[in-house]
Formats: sequence, structure tokens, C-alpha cells
Amino acid sequence: MTTLAIAWLLAPFLAAFLTALWPGAGRPLALLCALATVAMAGVAWGGTLPLQLLGPLGVSLQIDALAAPFLLLNGLVAAAVVLEGARRPNPGPFLVVLLVLQVGLNSAIVAVDLISIYVALEVVGIGAFLLLGLGGDERAIWLALRYGLVSNTVMLLFLIGVALVYQEQASFALAGAGRSSGIALALMAVALTSKAELFVVGLWLPRTNAEAPLEVSALLSGAVVSAGVVPLLRLALAAPVLVPVLQGLGLACAALGIVYALMETDLRRLLAWSTLSQMGLVVLAPAAGGLYAVAHGLAKSLLFLGTRHVGGRSLAAWRRTPLPTSARWPLLAGSLSIAGVPPLLGFAAKEQLGAALTGPLAGALNVLAVGTVAVYARLWGAPGETPEHPSGPHPTGGLGVGLLMAALLLLNLAPGARSLWGDWADGSLAWALLKAGMTVALGVGLAALLDWVRSLGWRPWNLPQPEHLDALLGATVVLGAALVLVLGP
Amino acid sequence: MKLLEALVLLTVLIGVAGLLLRRNLFLKVLAMDVMSTGVIALFVLLAARGGVRTPILQGSALEASQEVTRHTDWADPIPQAVILTGIVIGFSVQALLLVATARLSRIDPCLDVAVLEAETAEPVPRP
Repeated sequence: MTTLAIAWLLAPFLAAFLTALWPGAGRPLALLCALATVAMAGVAWGGTLPLQLLGPLGVSLQIDALAAPFLLLNGLVAAAVVLEGARRPNPGPFLVVLLVLQVGLNSAIVAVDLISIYVALEVVGIGAFLLLGLGGDERAIWLALRYGLVSNTVMLLFLIGVALVYQEQASFALAGAGRSSGIALALMAVALTSKAELFVVGLWLPRTNAEAPLEVSALLSGAVVSAGVVPLLRLALAAPVLVPVLQGLGLACAALGIVYALMETDLRRLLAWSTLSQMGLVVLAPAAGGLYAVAHGLAKSLLFLGTRHVGGRSLAAWRRTPLPTSARWPLLAGSLSIAGVPPLLGFAAKEQLGAALTGPLAGALNVLAVGTVAVYARLWGAPGETPEHPSGPHPTGGLGVGLLMAALLLLNLAPGARSLWGDWADGSLAWALLKAGMTVALGVGLAALLDWVRSLGWRPWNLPQPEHLDALLGATVVLGAALVLVLGP
Repeated sequence: MKLLEALVLLTVLIGVAGLLLRRNLFLKVLAMDVMSTGVIALFVLLAARGGVRTPILQGSALEASQEVTRHTDWADPIPQAVILTGIVIGFSVQALLLVATARLSRIDPCLDVAVLEAETAEPVPRP
């Protein structure tokens, strides 16, 4: 089994090499690797498989139940993107980088020693940098450079944290990080927070996602984000002192993302702001965040891939522009799932997250759920196409979009989600359905209210858009200093 | 030792200050490299100890194993081994960023970050 796991982890490298030599083999190989990742997620759900390579201070990996949902997400999103990206004129370089990115993502998800996490996250960073820059024009390169500079800077902070942990614990194991000093924890947390697109340090996301190619946005918002979140969740499980800090950050981040998404006028930026808010919810409960991250990642990739067929990106004209059928269903399925409408996966995920939270946090989750519905209710009002108002040429619906939609329905049978549906007998499911209905009603009401206010001629506030490179770097330093103060020396 | 630690911290802080305060993109990337140098020095410093043996074994395997058991005061090779990976990664990322910077000099030869930001900004649809 150990050999098999190592082969699974490294196979995409071989596939990437073969793709570079023979571009025609790229798609089947990439699909095969994605399939292997999905299979490995099944193994991980079955039981924990620890791997210790190269001696006691070497690489340690752990394929466990925490990793399982993220592996599944990674495999499915990669498969969908490969299937959808088939129509690109020259898919060769794209597939090579995608395969290398797969190795980085899978390693980051299963790594449990700090150095392996560092190396895996750097591979992810380089992969995302290249994907963003593949467009070749200056705008794409600027986006890539911005991402690369911020990501490498935070990884340097991570390395300082790792050095401090080694000085105190004489080991790079993640478990030992829990006993280390506050400064080390704060430095590692700020780096992983930035990788997971949380709070102010995640603000590189909206502009990047709004301007990058659609497949890249789907990968970034769906899968790459989860690579940063898994080490953060593992760190929080090892060091409980981080949990309240992360919950505070997560709540602030969720609220911030929703406010910005409600004020946004551009479709793809709205989706990106919503990713920011949803990732805030994922870190609220480290043990239960996995399923929520999967539900969100699948739906968000679906939404980004679905916007391919949308004519205009302006939300101001959304209610008047007919939406082609091939975009209608993906957008509807993805947004309903994130809004938590049964029987889509988002409903089960939200219920599970709610069950893991207690007290004021559970109440805050309900309020934020209403806000989330209000954000996505803005996408529901577009008219369908009619014979008098055709929306242009009919593009065929992609296989990848179909795969993601099927996954959103069928994953209700996955371990973790299934238990919820078994509770039908004792009435808790009925209560959950009632709550979901009320949330949706309130959210749609809120969206309608905002629409009415807009129709009176009120313009959205000009919210500050803190997205300049200097603002991003400054935010990282400020957040790092704040965490050091909170967590103590 | 304390002095060296303070110098490492100073190097990292100089790098951070350069990243934040410089307007030139090239200097920002160089400042990141200064920061990275500080981090590497930190790892080297962690492993450095006075009065212990270099972890290099000499002679035959038997003598070596006896030597290992006889002395326990070896310097720690692990942080240096690990930071070698960090150096390689840092170097390659640096190279990639510099290639991207060179391309961006077509927009603004002075590489002013504010100008680059404005030139590449997409017109956001406003109602």
C-alpha cells in the first residue's frame, strides 16, 4: 500500500513529462491521475495510512479522514477542468502545469511535517504562477507576478516559523508545533491564512479571479485554496490555542466577503468575493470544515466554468440579458448548492458545520447563511432565452460541468454526508429543511430589498478596494504582527 | 550568538521594509531575496554550535560507528540539509519573478508598481 501511495503521489510528474514529449497523451493521462486521486480519497475515508519516509526526521505523510474530502475535491475539479479545457487551441503547456500542480496539491493535503508542507505549498505556488502567466500578455504576467511575490513572501515567514519550531522541539513534526511558542505559530498561521485566501491577506483573490482565464479561476477558487486550508486545519488541530483566533478571523472574513459581494457589480468578482466569505466559514470548525470546503469548491468551480457561456459580466444588466440554457443550469445548481438548498451537497455540508458549532458561533453562521443566499439570489433573476430573444449561438454543454453537477448531487452518499439523511426518523431533518427554507426566504427578501433600494437610484457605496500590491504586502505584515501580539511570545 | 541572531532578524526586517517601501518592482523582488537570505542564515545559525564535532564520519564503517557511540556532541546537520531545499526553491522562484519583471518592463521601463498596476487594470463595469 505504501508503494501504491507513493506511486499515486508521483505519477502526475511522469504524466507531465510524457505530456511535454507527446502532447496528444496529455488529456487521458491527466484524467487518469485525477481518477487515481478520487480513488485515493476513497481509501483515505476507509482508514488512516501513515507514511514515514527517509527516517524519523524525514518526510511524513498521512492519508487520513481529514485529507479525504480535499483529495476528492482536488480530483473532481481537475477532471472537470481537463474535460472543459479540451477546446483550448494549445492545451499542451496548460496540461503540463496542471499535472505538476496536482502533485503539489495532493502532497500539501497529505503532508504532516512542516518541511514537506513548505515544499508542497511552494510547488503549488509555482504551478499557480505559471497557470496565471500562461496567457502571455502583460496583464496575465502582472497577475502572476503579484501572486508569486505575495505567495513567496508569506512562505518565507512560514520558514521562519518552522525554524523556531525546530529550535524548540528538535523536530519538524506538525504535532510538535502545538507545543511551540506563539511567535512561531503566528508566523505559520499568517502564511497559511494567505494561502487559504482568508481575510485581508486573501485579498489578492478577487482581481486575480476576475481576470484570469476561466479554467484557471475554477482551479484557483476550487482546488488551490483547499491546499492552503488543509495545513491550516491540521495546525489548528495540533495547536488548540489557534482555534479561537481562526474563528475570529473566519467570521470577520465571511462578513467582509458577503458585504463586498452584495455591493459588487461584476459577476466574476462577485464569485471571488463569495469564495473569500466561504473560506472564512470553513475554518470555523477545523474538524468539520472538510465537507463544507468540498461542497463550496465543487460549486464554485461549476459557477466559474458556467460563466463561460454568459454574454455580459455586468450584474446591473443581469435581469435584462437572456441567459443561454447551457449557462443557466450550471449557474443555478452551483448557486443553489452554496446557498444550502436541499438536496444538493451544500445543504448537508452546512448542517454538518452548524452541528459542530455552539453558542454565538452557530447563530452567526445562520446570519451569514442569509447573507450568502442574498448574494446568490442576485444570479437567479435572469430571464431564460425565448425564440424572440435568442442569446446567440448555442454552445454545447461541457462534460466537465456535467461531472461537477452530478458530484454535487451524488456526494450526498459520501461518508459524512450520508449520516445526516439517516436522521429522517427523529425529526431533525425536518427541522433542518424548515431552517433552510426560512434562510432562503430571508435571503431572497434581502436581495429584493437591496434591488429595490438600487432601483431608487441609490448607488452602492464606493467600498475601498484594497487590492494593490503594496496594500496586500502591508496587510500581511500587519496581520502577522497582530497574530504575534494575540498569541504571545 | 545573541548578536548573530539580532543581525539575522535585522536582515529579515530590512527585506520586509524593502518590500513595503520600494516602488520599483525590481527592487521589491531583490528585497524579497534579502529576506530569504536572512531566513537561510537563521537555519544555518540554528545548527551552528561551538565546541562540538562536525557531523562528518572518517575511517572505516566500524570505526565510524564506534566514533558515533563514543561522542554524543555532534553538531546538528538537519537544519542545513533542509535549508538546501529552501535555497533551491527560493532561487527558482526568484528567477521566475525576474523573468516576469523583465517582460513587464515593456509596459513601464521604470517598473514603477503604481504605473504597472494602473496600466494592467481592467476597466471595471460600473453602472
